[in-house]
This record gives sequence, structure tokens and C-alpha cells, in this order.
Amino acid sequence: MKGAGLVLKGSLRPKDNDSAFLLDPHRRGVPNRERMQRHRDGDEVDLVIVGCGAGGSVLAQRLGRAGWRVVVLEKGPFWDPDEDWVSDEEGAHALYWNEKRIVGGEDPVEMGKNNSGHGVGGSMAHFAGYAPRFHPSDFEVRTRDGVGADWPISYWDLKASFERVERELPVAGQHWPWGDPHGYPHGPHPITGAAERAWEGARACGIRMRVGPVAITNGVFGNRPHCIYRGFCLQGCKVNAKASPLVTHVPDAIEHGVEIRTNSMAVRIEIDGTGRCTGVTYVREGREHHQRAALVAVAGYSIETPRLLLNSTSARYPHGLANNDDQVGRYVMVQGAPQVAGRFPERLSMYKGPPPEISSEDFYETDESRGFARGFSLQSVGPLPIGWAEHVRGDGHWGAALREYMRDYNHWAVVGCLAELLPLPDNRVTLADETDHNGLPIARFDYTQCDNDRANIAYAKRVMNDVWSAAGAQDTLTIDRYAHLVGGARMGTSPEESVVDSDHRAWGVPNLLVADGSVMPTQSAANPALAIMALADRLAARLLAKRVEDGRPRPPRTGLVAVLEGGGA
Amino acid sequence: MSDGFRDASHLPKQAGRNQADPDGLPRQRRGTTPQMHGRYPDLDILAFTSHWDGPTRTLILDRVENPPPFRFFDAAEVETLKAFCDTVMHQTREPRIPVLAYVDEKLHTGRLDGYQYADMPDDRETWRLLARALDEEARARGGDAFGRVPEELRLEICGHLADDEVEGGTWEQIPRAFQVAMRAILAAFYSHPWAWNEIGFPGPAYPRGYMRLGIDQHEEWTEDEAFAVDPVGDVKERGLE
Ligand SMILES: Cc1cc2nc3c(=O)[nH]c(=O)nc-3n(C[C@H](O)[C@H](O)[C@H](O)COP(=O)(O)OP(=O)(O)OC[C@H]3O[C@@H](n4cnc5c(N)ncnc54)[C@H](O)[C@@H]3O)c2cc1C
Ligand code: SF4
Repeated sequence: MKGAGLVLKGSLRPKDNDSAFLLDPHRRGVPNRERMQRHRDGDEVDLVIVGCGAGGSVLAQRLGRAGWRVVVLEKGPFWDPDEDWVSDEEGAHALYWNEKRIVGGEDPVEMGKNNSGHGVGGSMAHFAGYAPRFHPSDFEVRTRDGVGADWPISYWDLKASFERVERELPVAGQHWPWGDPHGYPHGPHPITGAAERAWEGARACGIRMRVGPVAITNGVFGNRPHCIYRGFCLQGCKVNAKASPLVTHVPDAIEHGVEIRTNSMAVRIEIDGTGRCTGVTYVREGREHHQRAALVAVAGYSIETPRLLLNSTSARYPHGLANNDDQVGRYVMVQGAPQVAGRFPERLSMYKGPPPEISSEDFYETDESRGFARGFSLQSVGPLPIGWAEHVRGDGHWGAALREYMRDYNHWAVVGCLAELLPLPDNRVTLADETDHNGLPIARFDYTQCDNDRANIAYAKRVMNDVWSAAGAQDTLTIDRYAHLVGGARMGTSPEESVVDSDHRAWGVPNLLVADGSVMPTQSAANPALAIMALADRLAARLLAKRVEDGRPRPPRTGLVAVLEGGGA
Repeated sequence: MSDGFRDASHLPKQAGRNQADPDGLPRQRRGTTPQMHGRYPDLDILAFTSHWDGPTRTLILDRVENPPPFRFFDAAEVETLKAFCDTVMHQTREPRIPVLAYVDEKLHTGRLDGYQYADMPDDRETWRLLARALDEEARARGGDAFGRVPEELRLEICGHLADDEVEGGTWEQIPRAFQVAMRAILAAFYSHPWAWNEIGFPGPAYPRGYMRLGIDQHEEWTEDEAFAVDPVGDVKERGLE
């Protein structure tokens, strides 16, 4: 097929993931759930994964396809978008991780709907849908800029995984001129008037903008319908147009024998006398169970992953698993994500279209003239009424003034930034004194910005204000906020300064992996979900190629061993 | 308001005053808005329910038709906190969105938001303490419970609270009370179809979706803003007062 590399558009089918075709074109729920494989607690499976979100689902799907016997323990339910999700902001409350966490520090981070999901699909069930890649520079921040940390792997180790995941979601957007320039499998979506106004302002400031990249189908893709531009991406897509593991990886995982055990909260990872994991203890319907497994992967995201490791104490590991060097829970990061709204004479109806539309990475890398290290990206967003009310309140209004700005809703457009904030050891997850209904200590997350963080956020706000003034905005409103969690169990080159090695293996516990956003050593100025999936894809490939040994001679078994011994899949 | 809302002079920051002038707006002709004014006098979201999917329709109709009974707050707390919600949302007369009823339900059923500030009690405790603190403050300034003092004093107290200028007594236990309370209040108010009528948000859009995304475009089923009419004259002319 001559020139095929240049026309990767439309219905191109990912090579080894049939999820989009396993869905039903007229119902949103995952159809093959009824015939899902079931394992018994007492059976030692090849792998148990904690958490069915971005990282956990990709790992499960890859290894399930290769014949591994995989059980995923997921605390939340198995969503059926037709029945469980509503086209309503407040009604989406059940999608969030609503169990209590304590937030402290000088600049505490709001949790819940802002950054934490639960149920099959994880936080991506209600993520906005931006799916940019990290830049090559993100992996060597310490070397280049003298701040943060270097990753033990490079962009080039992940490039093939980024491409693979982009085809699976699939990602739609214009050709991307930043970082490692690349195109997208689906073309750019049409944009709304609100994004158009932001683009005009950016153009007048000499800032490049591009449409996308969003994980929303823009053409034929298996049985997933086209986006209907209804704007409720953050409430869970009832159309199946927006990607989340529930539609991009779970159907194929189930087809290949993966069991997803829902409403199952992992409370402890068990170890034996030699210090190896034997499986995971979890609570389902109020009762404790124990799933035995040869290998355990934790993928509960940046708060729950550290919490589970810290709660898994034993005589051998009195401070929790993989925590001999007091690294678990440290270096948790968020992005500074203030948003600035601009007011225009025309009606812009920013509730239309997916909230993620256009973005710029012109400010992504360090520019010494700005006076701080690293940078930020700019992205349009389209808050629905409650989000808009929080924005107006964030600018300091209440009462009659708030009502008036709310009535003016249709005249506003909003841009946000994602400012890369630096990894700091004291921005960390610890255990609080309070316990949850299972008697398990809850997480406490302390967060305080450093001077570089403050300078970065302040600069980004100035740029956003410049964009609106160049666009001719009649008024502006600003809200300070955060977005996205990463870190807490970071990968590195030694146990003294990290929790896992470059193959996601916990230092000191040979058969324990971490496979979610918590392994990231730096935050980048990009949204994290694509990178989390790409990391899981790379980890799976390395497990299958036997690059990651778990150090134990295995008794012959079918499935996993057959595949491994057959030279890998 | 000669060129209607294309001009921004009505906005609080532009006008240099907090007090907007909702009485200059057209009265609602179809459907309901809180206090019966808004920019879209003929927008009635509840006329669209046949275009919504089942679970969404059930949820929203239940929200409107069956405001939850008070089970969390006692009568005195209800009196104080209702006055507080009305003040911070500028709900000066009926019809009012029953904001506190939704907050009560959230607290009663424990449907909380997934975090608690380290320097704050649990949200449920926070709301009770807020009621107590508002009464303390009102008594100190005016000699009665918050719900029984004049509107000016309530506005003044809420202003101090919003600006973080209250201290002493119960306030010391709840340094972020306004933040926590407003989060629940805004969610309750702006999840109500009456508020959507007021601000021109068409509500649930599944499975219908949107088609006309551009500047100044609107779907054939949504209403345009009433900026072509002089609201004051229009209301008089139609005898809608
Ligand atoms: C409102 C919002 C908007 C976002 N927008 C974007 C965006 O536009 N682009 C982007 O790239 N990212 C976005 N994100 C972030 C993105 O969704 C997350 O970074 C990503 O999903 C994290 O992946 P993960 O695998 O680490 O964790 P998750 O996807 O959160 O998955 C973790 C799963 O583990 C489960 N779990 C946790 N602990 C346990 C336990 N003990 N036992 C059993 N199960 C457990 C949880 O229930 C959850 O399902 C957004 C997030 C939110 C909330
Ligand atoms: S805007 Fe498109 S992708 Fe977003 S929720 Fe609606 S249909 Fe799904």
C-alpha cells in the first residue's frame, strides 16, 4: 500500500485490540461482560492488578491477549453508560472517588471530581479527553533545566507506545508541531465559537494553536458512534465517542480471559516469609477475600497506590511495602491549572462541543527570559453551569454579582493552562489518623508550591489575559485551580530516591509492580492519561519479552508459561 | 441597555458595583426562573424532557418535583441556613430554588465530595458549625439569630465571611467555611432547571446533541437572548408585570 504511512485516517483498525468492534453499535454497555472469565480466590493467577483505570486496563488487555491469567480488582462498579450515566453535571457525582481524603499543606489540592475517578475506566471515565504526548525534554528535566528529576527512560523508549495507544483511543487532531512532531489517526474536530475567539486572541499574540489532540472519534471507528458535540465529556460520555478504558481496552481484555472483579477494594498486599507478594486481600460486599497471584501490579493512581503500599505493613516491612527508604507517597504532583474567561458581545455558548478543543504548547519548555524553569500549555475549556459558577466564585463574586455573571454565561469563553509544577519530597501522601468503613487508614495529601511553581502559574495567567485582551474581550474572570495528579511511587535508578525501577518493579519486592500515573518522576505540561497508558503498554511488552524477571522459578503452567516459553507473543 | 447584552456595561466589574439590576430584566413568560426574571424569557428547559434519555429525565424531574425533606438540619439550623443560602445566591423572593433542601440531602446521605481540608472538620460538622457561627455573629451585631436580622446585616456578614474577615468564637473552628458551603450551594442552585432557564443553558443534550457550534449561532430549538427588546418597556407593554 503505497504511502500508507501518510493516510492513517479513519477506520484503521488497531492491530491487536478489537475493543471498538466488540462494542454494540446501539447499546453502550460492554456486551461481552456476561461471558467474562471467573477465577477463584484460591487459584494462583499469573497477575492481579489493583485498579481498572488508564494504567491497569492497558496492562490487563495486553497480558490477557498473551494468555496470562489476569484478575483486575476494581473498587468501583462496572459502568453501563446507558443506565448509570446521566447528561447532567451534578448527576455525575457517582463517577468520582468520593471517599474522604485529608488535604493539607499551604496550597491544598481539591480531590473528588477534579482529579479522581472510580469504577471500570478509572478517572478516564470522566476525563476531559485531551490526549497530548509528553515532549522528549520531559524525560531529562534535571539534566536540561537543573530542576525536578530525570526519568530512567527516554521519550524514545515510549514513542512506539504513544503511537500504539493513539491508534487505539483513537486520538483526533491537527498535525502536531511541538515536541516530537507527529500526526494523528483521526482528523481535527470542528470547533465552537468559544474556541474560535480564543484562537483569534492567540493569533494576535503570535501564539500558535492547534485543534486537538482529543481522544474522541472523528469518523468510523468500530462500533463507536461519532461525537454529538453535547459537551458532557467530564460527566462520562453516554455516546461512547470519547475514549476511556471502558470502551478502549476492557472489551478486548474480557474477550481474552481477563476477569474484572468490581466493587472489590484492595486493602492489603500480602507477602510471604521470603518477602515476595502472594496476592491481594480485598473487601467485597463487606467480606474480606484473598486473591492469590504470582505477580501483583498496583494501579490505583497517585493517592490510592501509595495508600495501599503504606497500609500493607508486615513484620518484614513495618513501614509499608517498597518503603524501606521512606520514598512511598513522596513527589506527588499536580499541574497549576488556572483558567481565565473572556467576555464577548456575541453569543458563544461554550457548553457546546467537547470541553477540550484547541491547545498550544508554545510555552512548554524552559525559556530563561521568563525567569523560571519549565513551562505550561494552553488549552480551551468549556465549563457547564456548575463549573462556570465555581469560576465566577473563584474570581471573588457571590450574591447578586454572581447571579449576573451567571446570566451572562453565553457570552463567555474560557482558556486554561497546565503549568508544570516541580516534584518536591514533602508534597506527599501519608496515612491520616482517621479510618474508612473498612477500618483502613485514609490518605492525607499535603501540597505546597515552590517559588518556581508560583512564577510559572503567574506567568501563564498573564499570557491568558493577553490572549483575551488581544481578542478584544470586554471583561475577564480568573479562577485558580489545579489539575491532574501524578507521582507518589516514582520510577528511578536507585531505591534511595525512588519506589520502582525503570521496569516498574518495586525496589526490594521482586514480584510487585506499579503501573499507573504514580510512577511519573515529573509532571510535564501535558495531560497525563496518554502517557500513563503508554507506560503500561511498554511495561506489558517488557513483561512479555521476559525483560522483567520476577526472579522465581515457576512450576510449569498453561497460559502464561506456554506463551513465555513459546518465545513471547 | 440600548444595545442589550452585546455591551458589557451591565456586568458588576464594569459597572463598578456589586449590585446587578435583575429587575431591569424581562419577566419569565414560559417556564420558571428563580425570582422569575432572566435573559431568556421564553426558555423552558422542562419542555424538552421528551428529548432526553430515560435515566437523565428521571433524575432531573425528580430533582424539580420532589425537593428532599429536611432530615439533617434541625428547625433552627434550617431557618439560619436558608437565610444564608438566599443571601449568598441573592434569592430575594419566590420562586426560590430550594437550595438548602438539596444540601441537607447530600449531608444526610453522606454524598460528600471526596476531601476534607486538614484545618477543617468533616463537611457535615462544618455546616452545623456554620449555622452556629452565623447566629453568633448576627447576635453580636444585631441581637437576633441570622435568619431574623434585616437583609443589610445579612449581606454585611456574608461579605465579611467571603472576604475572610470573620473571627473569634465558632469561626475559629471553620476557617474555610465559605469555600465548603459555596461548593455545595452552587452545585445545588446550578443543577436546577430553573437556573438553566435563567442563564440560557439548554440542559441535557443527549441524545439530541448540538449542530450549530459557531459564533452567534444557536440551535433552532434554543431561545435567543432577549437583547433585542427593551426589557422594561416590553414587560409593561405586554402587561406581564
Ligand atoms: C475531571 C478530570 C479531567 C481530566 N482530564 C484529563 C485530560 O483531558 N487528559 C488527560 O490526559 N488526563 C485527564 N485527566 C487525568 C486522567 O484521567 C488520569 O491521569 C488517569 O486516568 C490516571 O490513570 P491511572 O491509571 O493512574 O488511575 P485511574 O485512571 O484513576 O485508575 C485508578 C483506578 O484504581 C481504582 N482503585 C484505586 N485504589 C483501589 C483499591 N485499593 N482497590 C481497588 N481499586 C482501586 C480506582 O477506583 C480507579 O478506577 C482528568 C481527570 C479528571 C478527574
Ligand atoms: S462532546 Fe462528544 S465526546 Fe464529549 S461527551 Fe459529548 S458525545 Fe461524548
